[in-house]
Amino acid sequence: MISSRAAFLRSFTRAMHGPRSIGATLREALLGYGLVMPSALIFLVFYYAPAAFLAYISFFHWNLFVNGNQFVGLRNFEILANQPLFWRSLFNTAYYVVVLVPTTTLLALAFALLLREMPNLRSGGLSRALIFLPHVTPVVATSIIWVWIFNPNFGLANAILGFLHLPQLNWLQSVTWALPSVMIYTLWHSVGLYTVLFLAGLASIPKNVLEAASVDGGHGWFAFRRVVWPMLGPVTFFVIVLVSVNTIQTFSQIYTLTGGPSSLAGGPAFATTTDSLLIYQTAFLYQHFSLASAMSLVLFVLTLALTLIQKLLADRIVFYR
Amino acid sequence: MRAPLTLILRAVIGMAWIFPVYWLIVVATGARGSAYSIPPVFVPLFHFLPVASVLAHTHLLQHVLNSVIVTTSTIVLVLFTGALGGYALSEVRFPGRSLYFLLALGVMMLPQQALMVPQYVVLYHLRMLNTYAAMIIPFATSTSSIFLFRQFFMRLPTSYRDIASVEGVSTARYLWRVALPLARPAVAATVLLTFISSWNMFQWPLVMISSKSIQPLEVSLTFYMQAFEGHWRQLASVALLALLPVIGVFALTQRYIVSAVAGGELAQKE
Repeated sequence: MISSRAAFLRSFTRAMHGPRSIGATLREALLGYGLVMPSALIFLVFYYAPAAFLAYISFFHWNLFVNGNQFVGLRNFEILANQPLFWRSLFNTAYYVVVLVPTTTLLALAFALLLREMPNLRSGGLSRALIFLPHVTPVVATSIIWVWIFNPNFGLANAILGFLHLPQLNWLQSVTWALPSVMIYTLWHSVGLYTVLFLAGLASIPKNVLEAASVDGGHGWFAFRRVVWPMLGPVTFFVIVLVSVNTIQTFSQIYTLTGGPSSLAGGPAFATTTDSLLIYQTAFLYQHFSLASAMSLVLFVLTLALTLIQKLLADRIVFYR
Repeated sequence: MRAPLTLILRAVIGMAWIFPVYWLIVVATGARGSAYSIPPVFVPLFHFLPVASVLAHTHLLQHVLNSVIVTTSTIVLVLFTGALGGYALSEVRFPGRSLYFLLALGVMMLPQQALMVPQYVVLYHLRMLNTYAAMIIPFATSTSSIFLFRQFFMRLPTSYRDIASVEGVSTARYLWRVALPLARPAVAATVLLTFISSWNMFQWPLVMISSKSIQPLEVSLTFYMQAFEGHWRQLASVALLALLPVIGVFALTQRYIVSAVAGGELAQKE
């Protein structure tokens, strides 16, 4: 009885909708291609094609404005390997990334723990907004004020050091402190984003887990170490990847804070010449396109490798999913 | 005992983080020479003469206009391509749909800095260098917008579409009249995200645009940094002009921006 009713319903639906004809399927497929065409074209032309093209021009002696490009094999990479400035830029990039990844992650985590809503305390929202705001501000506009803060004579940075009875620094004009100054700016500009990501991670921890921990006498550091921290594993890993990928590609603030268009950018004495800045200068100031492409390929591979290594490490460390 | 300490710490950190922006306002609208005064002045005086003089004597207004043109056209186009792409992913069955899914997702993995040189070459061959199009077309779609729309369209009951197809309503009309209005949060998030990235865009126009007349505001600031070296009031007021739209929009839509930006990042993780 039941099965005959099901069969009736099935035939009824088929009668209503009709079997899908080849024409209808074809029409739907065409509709799909039409809909994705604009975005797919943009992705392919402006992103995937250049990525494929990158490998090609790195192996040529290549110039945009001259015909007859010559295959030179690994010659471009050989030139790079003999360039002290290229190694210097790799060192600067590594220094920048290695310092910023742990400091940004820890500061963001600390801020998130501080801003976490407590049942009877709703002041977290405004502070969160204030910490997040720099992340959406344009880099050059806010760099201008930081150039002023880092001014050795009138700047706020030295005023604070003076207040604490510490020796004054030359900040952006000092070979030792120029890159750390940029790091301070970057920390200020980006920590809000990662704080919010940590806050999302904290919010996803089930309330009853925390309650159970506190009932069992787990408070403060113990609860954090044994309950919160393990559960934040995936978010922490994600933040570390994001900070690395973003810092390894930093360009705008380095360019603006260290001299801008005056071709002094990257100074003093190449102390802030990172890989992306050197690529920019090599290609668009000195027109060595093939050399710049070879550097870009190195950066491309480094960034992907970094992501993959972290992925492998995370699979061992992160246990909560 | 813990609550007051937390409150104070929150307030201190919030104020410390906003201070550079506040300081910019103080310097821009302060009295002449106030930037150098010791002890520093902390109260803005609202002198708008420096802004007025910069507007009168330089091409600043043109740069503002360029930024507005680029940002608004990018927003409109991203909404269009994002809604279409999201609709295709959620509602339409066609061979290659999963390939398109991967295509959109994979773009986010490409390190942007490494692509600058070949992208310049592509724009050169398309004769797009030094045009408004160079600042708009490559950014006329975004993975986050496609996935935002996909998410919202997937939540719509299928009966809506069945009724529409029975009534003979075209896909375009259904999208415009039914699906888009119901996906208003996706529209809002896309507008905000695109506004921020487009208004703040710096390195791309620095590389791709050489003529001053179509430079956006953010790039022209580096020129002002040199021209107004030592004239802190003028320089700060120009920077303030670039900042104000962002701060204004942020003040009004803070909640949505924070969750949209964080959501956009978290979407990559899934």
